[in-house]
Amino acid sequence: MPVEVIMPKVDMDMASGKLAVWHVAEGEVVKKGAALFDIETDKAAMEVEAPATGRLHHVLAAPGETVAVGRPVAFIYAEGEAVGASPVAVEAPKTEAPAPLAGAAPVVVATIIAPDSADLRATPVARRLAREAGLELAAIAGTGPRGRIQRADVEAAVARAQPAPAVAEAPVTAPAAPISWEPHPGDLNVTTRKGVGVPLVMIHGFAADSHGWRPLEEALPKEQALIRIDLPSHGRSPLKRVGGFAELARLMVQVFDKVAEGPVHLLGHSLGGGLALALADIRPRQVRTLSLIAPAGLGPEIDGAALNGIARASSVDSLAPWLKRLTARPGGISHDFAKAAMLARLDPALREAQQEMARALFPDGVQAFDLTAALERVAMPALMIWGRDDHILPWKQALAAPGEVALHLLRGIGHVPQMEDPATVGALVGRHLRG
Amino acid sequence: MNAQVQIDAQLRELSYAEAIREAMAIALESDPAVVLMGEDIGTYGGAFQVTGDLIDRFGPERVMDTPISELGGAGVAVGAALTGLKPIFEFQFSDFAALAMEQIVNQAAKLRYMLGGEAEVPVVFRMPSGSGTGAAAQHSQSFEAWFGHVPGLKVVQPSTPAEAKGLLLAALADPDPVVVFEHKLLYKMKGPVPAGHYITPIGKAAVVRPGNAVTIVASAIMVHRALEAAAKLAAEGIEAEVIDLRTVRPLDRETIIASVKKTGKLLCVYEGVRTLGVGAEISALVAESEAFDYLDAPIQRLGGAEAPIPYNPDLERAAVPQSPDIERVARQLAKGEV
Repeated sequence: MPVEVIMPKVDMDMASGKLAVWHVAEGEVVKKGAALFDIETDKAAMEVEAPATGRLHHVLAAPGETVAVGRPVAFIYAEGEAVGASPVAVEAPKTEAPAPLAGAAPVVVATIIAPDSADLRATPVARRLAREAGLELAAIAGTGPRGRIQRADVEAAVARAQPAPAVAEAPVTAPAAPISWEPHPGDLNVTTRKGVGVPLVMIHGFAADSHGWRPLEEALPKEQALIRIDLPSHGRSPLKRVGGFAELARLMVQVFDKVAEGPVHLLGHSLGGGLALALADIRPRQVRTLSLIAPAGLGPEIDGAALNGIARASSVDSLAPWLKRLTARPGGISHDFAKAAMLARLDPALREAQQEMARALFPDGVQAFDLTAALERVAMPALMIWGRDDHILPWKQALAAPGEVALHLLRGIGHVPQMEDPATVGALVGRHLRG
Repeated sequence: MNAQVQIDAQLRELSYAEAIREAMAIALESDPAVVLMGEDIGTYGGAFQVTGDLIDRFGPERVMDTPISELGGAGVAVGAALTGLKPIFEFQFSDFAALAMEQIVNQAAKLRYMLGGEAEVPVVFRMPSGSGTGAAAQHSQSFEAWFGHVPGLKVVQPSTPAEAKGLLLAALADPDPVVVFEHKLLYKMKGPVPAGHYITPIGKAAVVRPGNAVTIVASAIMVHRALEAAAKLAAEGIEAEVIDLRTVRPLDRETIIASVKKTGKLLCVYEGVRTLGVGAEISALVAESEAFDYLDAPIQRLGGAEAPIPYNPDLERAAVPQSPDIERVARQLAKGEV
């Protein structure tokens, strides 16, 4: 029997969800627990994991399609299992379906198979955490006795279900051909989007993750090949102690060497910008163009309190006030965004690791590494984007750039231009990549 | 009630029995209303030599031998308390309290209520309790839950010499009847005891070992077995939090609930018969509380066997929780295997 993949209920008041992206194409192999598709609600976007290992068949929902909660969107067949006709098409509804009117088009009613809640075992704290995180218990594998879902199972599921930030309205684009994100084996979590031409490697900032690029991804040309790297102790990358910027940069070079098979474009934001600059300095021949958004390392000043506050926050209430510093105006960060961001940070070990990283990179609230010399040496076409209302890193640090670097100092924009104004940033970066 | 805790900086090593004797001596010296009563507590010094030489120091009018009738002796103590004395009545074995239930449960516990608050019964019942001494089925029981079931009584279970002294002085300061369960196996246990008068508050449990992996609530000798188990678990990286219950009635809900909210796992360890025992009550109060939403495993209980305490020493040991039992269940809880 194939395993049914349903549209999960990830929010209390969610009746349907918009399927954003398939991470696995029809007929491809899928592993239980791996990201299978993304959904978007009006509040947040999140990844849905594969409920089983096998091959994906009978994909019923295309990206952009809205599907009712509980309805199947695809089926996973065990390796070697015969793939028959779509189970949805052949399974007739058991309850009284409205009789098709004469002459009317045949009504296809999908059978909704609700998760068997009678068989579901979960501890009270697991139930509470799943409820708070908006996760469907049925989608979480229990590792406790008799398959009971325990706290650690939910925390792991939450850590995997990194919700995408939804700061600004993403530009509405027609659903293109299924976009496929593929994991890349290695020390850090690397995901790639196939496309044409020279791929763009993207490195996110401190306390963020690859999902934060989503608004910009949508603003970039659809055919642009993308490679996203999650920093250590961020996103889906493993927790790793990092003693300082140089050590972090060395680790990134190792990963970069495995990821970048040929020349690449390089883009980084904030700490990721600093790392992109270091990579460009160390591997100049491989980097076709460099795009830096509010990069770190160009001056001592940084809002250390906000960094530590974000890294430390253990609840939405303590996280939200710090997140509000990210955008030009505090209103730029909604409570739902903070909630989604907190979901990705529920693991205390991750928070501890990020606090440690903050202490190593930004001791006493100071940027302890200086990349101005590296910036001077940059020989490839380089672009720098900075919000003039950046409360985390002062935009005047951009003035350290030599004359060849194209500076774009955006008015009314804070520390996350790629989220606050993805259209402008996408246009600037897109033009830069094309040369 | 004198809630002020006065602890001398000077700590001596005293045994549990010596600490109780010191508490009684302080009380006899400082308050002429205090009298000791019980079978063979005078010249003989008590079945477990707890009163010792107090008769020599305070005389037979303050340290009274009572006839071999628990009902009669307890009745005299309750009557004396009702008329202004503060008697400490010693049972030779807590098992024999069964003979005096009328006086403890129907009289001492009820009189304040029955007389509309006009009377008080400041009596203290000392009860040598528990198994492990080879005293067999009629001399080894743990009746905390029996008396803890009676409104009007307070029930305490000291686990260390310092607690034994502080809880006895707290019991004396309390205007209502207090039942003190002293564990027979602890009488010779030595520990630091502050000099002078001090009180260990009734109704307050103590976190005697902090941890975050699992909460172990224990009382009397089970505290030591739990601490022993916790030390072994710590070597495996499992930090168990051990709570010394100290008082069975009224239970310290706050301390227990706060701990379970932190650890998400609860193991109740008690020597009394498992069914309907103290741990059953703790389990229920946690399940009913806001800590429910923090539980990450079914609550576990380790209690006494559903059987009389056997005479055979091996069977006697097997009939009540031992340190390896606590270690095993706490480990399973911490590892999410329960």
